[in-house]
Amino acid sequence: MADIKSLEHPTLKVPYEILNKKFRMAQKTLDREVSHVQQSVAQAEKCLMKNEVKASQITKHLDSMVEKLQVLKRKAEESIGEEINATNVCKRRVAHLKDQSTLTGGALTNWRRKRLDRMVVEYSLRNGFYQSALLLAERSEIKDFTNIDIFLNSSEVEKSLTNHETQKCISWCHENKSKLRKLKSTMEFNLRVQEFVELIRKDCRVEAVKHARKHFPGFEEEHLPKIQRVMALLVFPINTQLLPYATYFDISRWTDLIEQFRQENYRLFQLASQSGFTVSLEAGLSALKTPQCYSEHKESKNPACPVCNEDFNKLAEELPFAHCSQSGLYCYLTGLPLNENNQPMMLPNGYVYGEQALALMAKENDGQVKCPKTKEVFPYKKAEKVFVM
Amino acid sequence: MEAVLAVEKDVDKVLSKFTGINDHSRRVLTDLIDQMNNLKEELENAPEEHQLTNIQQDLFKTSMTKIKDTVSRLAVEHRDLHSSVSKVGKSIDRNFTQDFAACSRENAFSTTEKMDTINKVICKHYYRQGMHDVADSLVGESGVSVEGYEKEPFTELHHISDSLKNKDFEPLLAWATAHHEALDAQNSSLEFMIHRLKYIELLKLGVAFQSEAIGYARTHFRNFVHKHEKEIQTLMGMLLFIPKGIDCSPYRTHCVPDSEMWLEIYEMFIRDACQMLGVCEHSPLFTCINAGCQAIPALLNIKQVMMQRQVSQIWKGTEELPIEIDLGPDNRYHSMFACPILRQQSTKNNPPMRLMCGHVISRDALQKLCSGNKLKCPYCPLEQSPQEARQIYF
Repeated sequence: MADIKSLEHPTLKVPYEILNKKFRMAQKTLDREVSHVQQSVAQAEKCLMKNEVKASQITKHLDSMVEKLQVLKRKAEESIGEEINATNVCKRRVAHLKDQSTLTGGALTNWRRKRLDRMVVEYSLRNGFYQSALLLAERSEIKDFTNIDIFLNSSEVEKSLTNHETQKCISWCHENKSKLRKLKSTMEFNLRVQEFVELIRKDCRVEAVKHARKHFPGFEEEHLPKIQRVMALLVFPINTQLLPYATYFDISRWTDLIEQFRQENYRLFQLASQSGFTVSLEAGLSALKTPQCYSEHKESKNPACPVCNEDFNKLAEELPFAHCSQSGLYCYLTGLPLNENNQPMMLPNGYVYGEQALALMAKENDGQVKCPKTKEVFPYKKAEKVFVM
Repeated sequence: MEAVLAVEKDVDKVLSKFTGINDHSRRVLTDLIDQMNNLKEELENAPEEHQLTNIQQDLFKTSMTKIKDTVSRLAVEHRDLHSSVSKVGKSIDRNFTQDFAACSRENAFSTTEKMDTINKVICKHYYRQGMHDVADSLVGESGVSVEGYEKEPFTELHHISDSLKNKDFEPLLAWATAHHEALDAQNSSLEFMIHRLKYIELLKLGVAFQSEAIGYARTHFRNFVHKHEKEIQTLMGMLLFIPKGIDCSPYRTHCVPDSEMWLEIYEMFIRDACQMLGVCEHSPLFTCINAGCQAIPALLNIKQVMMQRQVSQIWKGTEELPIEIDLGPDNRYHSMFACPILRQQSTKNNPPMRLMCGHVISRDALQKLCSGNKLKCPYCPLEQSPQEARQIYF
């Protein structure tokens, strides 16, 4: 259960953030529609204040009022419906996480397989493998439990940034204005600077000045020194070598913008900076890594051990080994644990095997045992007991 | 578990409040609209140039005030829900760890080579899982190549398991019959379990199919009598309770829901088939990630403790994890010798040594325990010369 506590924060937090967003939007819609109703009520009231009120006049007001009320009713139903949908997403995920504690055996393995699939979906999304992520989510029926939507949303923005367009990213900034302000994001400012730079690149310097007049004053407080430096670009040719101005004309600034956008989007939804998949992989490799996995002797490797597998072996190269303060010994021949039921026995060459396996071998070979690692043959009688505390 | 339950409680609360306000607003607004329509009708029936009487005027004024109050109250009521909504967020933050990446080394896999390897192992995993389309798509998008990886043995298995998911076990039965001897050598009861499942399915159809069930049992169970006699007795005993329904008989524990039985067969099949192919039941990636999920809570804990003691710099650059992580007996693949004196894992430079009496300690410990040319075993009274100790290999 501890694993859920440690790893599933984004699984719940992202749909919560979406719910919260929906709530704010609903509140805004309601407030707006309510004020419309109230305006029309106020007009009607003004009309009623007169001494002589004609019925036809008041019916007109009534008509408009009914209309406004109907709009309010429809909008309220729509927005609250969306809130309920968002809450249900949270609920479904909670239920899925809750399942883990009641499952056993095959069903638990199945749950874990789905968890791996969820992690891979997230990993793929973070690395831009959108098609595979979608396909996997569908095949594994985990679409409801992954945060595909927000990533797909951001993929659109990323695509537009790759095409050197800022519009989509700017509107993303506006959508999440209050949150970004709280995070002290510089995204919008950087985008505006980039637009400015692009105008200069196109040699539309007058346009650039207009653009600067329109957008830069809003950032005056925080970014004044930067604005000053950017404005200085107006006097340089675009192929200037002079630092720091040359860096502003560098095309790679777009890549930086994409990276910044990704990071801010993660922060917006409180996603960790790394994917759960890589973090778990790293911890898992470390927990399984033993010096034997890297031994020069082939026979000390175990084909069933993941870290002895070629690819994983490479991945784990620089990771720490598992810590081990208690001996855990297994018979090389049978894989059974060595303990009081299966005494470890040392052959004269120093190699240790389980009593059961050696006794069986001796029985089948007239009391002779062959060391599987060095291929030496000894009489079984010469094997000596080993005591491991 | 409490973590999930706590969040669930808050989510439920929000849900019920939203449903509540949804019904409430719909009712209130419908009422208002109806009222207005009534008033309008009243006026429409009046003559063209009719002027409102004082009573009518008052009536209108009160209903105007009512509308104003009700709608503004509606907005306020909705705003009040914010506290419940934000409670969910707080509850999630309180009960779940926000940054699991804290226990990871930054840039552990940041080189392109490592990233390619990761993509490769993911692809291999999905080939193994039989999801070739997913793996192919990933190969395409990530640009890695997984040549020379044998997909074929798994393709057949996954064809079978796909049909199993659709509750069609004919392919599986055919496979099991074809590999009858190999399965028998593995001491697998897969074949019997398939027949058992089929038989129970027949029983569940009720009295009308009982003779069919008996017929099925007669043809198929006899081959398994020597191995599963007890089980067959139980299965036949179930026949007694068909009219009453097996669910209320002493046999109900044998009659688990369909989905579970299918899953059980599925797992059994995968296990046996993998054993036959000589590969592990689970893909290495699956094993690794599960180990990681087990390790992360412990690592996060120790990290926090280290931060509090301000020794977190030890974390970096160490050769070993700071704590032992018990992954259970299924996940131990190598013999590990830890010196009982130094509580340290043995290494090439500090190998395990067997003393004359049979007790094993590490070489460093042995040198520390030596006094002159004499060594007393720390576990028994035997005194010996340290030269007599022998290096051993596990």
